[in-house]
Amino acid sequence: MSDALDVGSLDRTQRDALRRLVLSLADSKRLMGIRYSDWLLGSPSIETGIATSSMAQDEWGHARLLYSMLKDLDIDPVPIEHDRASEEYASVAPLDEEMPDWAALVAAICLVDGAMTTMLESFAEGSFEPARGRVPKMLAEEEFHASLGSAWFKRLAGAGGDAHRLLGEATRAMIPDLLAWVGADDGPARAMVEAGVIGDADGRVVAFRDRVRALTALVDVDVDAVVPSEDWDPARARSPGHPSEEAVERARGDRNRALFVE
Amino acid sequence: MSMREKVYDVFARKDRGDQLVHIGYVDAFDDDTAKVHAWTTYDEERWFEMCVVERTAIIPVNRQDGPFAKARREAHE
Repeated sequence: MSDALDVGSLDRTQRDALRRLVLSLADSKRLMGIRYSDWLLGSPSIETGIATSSMAQDEWGHARLLYSMLKDLDIDPVPIEHDRASEEYASVAPLDEEMPDWAALVAAICLVDGAMTTMLESFAEGSFEPARGRVPKMLAEEEFHASLGSAWFKRLAGAGGDAHRLLGEATRAMIPDLLAWVGADDGPARAMVEAGVIGDADGRVVAFRDRVRALTALVDVDVDAVVPSEDWDPARARSPGHPSEEAVERARGDRNRALFVE
Repeated sequence: MSMREKVYDVFARKDRGDQLVHIGYVDAFDDDTAKVHAWTTYDEERWFEMCVVERTAIIPVNRQDGPFAKARREAHE
């Protein structure tokens, strides 16, 4: 583990890069929570619905902790959480729209949540002190998400028919954007590597591929052969596009705006 | 591969010195999902320890008319 980062010593470029990284993780967590919440009702069983409810709460808790890290950069997280337009969200592209079926949500548990865990593991081992202190608890909670996702992925893949087909389609659709995100290697991403905040891009991609390889193989997807998306918005560290307006209204808490307690 | 779910009974204790007590059950299709379902369903306490056991693995000692005996009979039919 590298020495603790002195945030005060960062230049403007490095501060912007750290802001981008934190926002990318926080927004992705918040949208992941929304996508879990879409399945509180309508999951395959009552227990599964309860599990998605619990995971939604976990993700929002993680998002809140990540947004609060912006305070270390003298950025007020309140307007970040509640006032941004959807075009400003830095969440990963596979979370932009509601999952069309349970198989897609299972793919998202394993692949999207898995990609976030890969990034958070790297973040927790880096030089940014708030990440060192707060991320390990998130990773412990994520073990339950991974366990549920993995069990369902194997079950649906082994069931054949539509379950296998839908899972394969979702897997193929999600991985290119996630590889681009995990393997970000542009100027801001390299600035974070040089500052010791996260590990290098190659290492992160290897970790992600190792995490999902055995599962994706079950739906005939060789994760080592998948090419990352080339479309890239460097301002938000994600593929072009943005989450749906409906999801962002929920993320911002628009309907409860008069009742905010901070 | 079967999508059929099984019943798992859930046992937990709040503190190290407490007895392990039966707190409920969950339906799940394997051990891994049973663990997650138990942990997320019975999350009203900060449990020191939680375990799940497939109901068919419980051997009734003195009663043959309850849910445990019924589960074993059905498993062996």
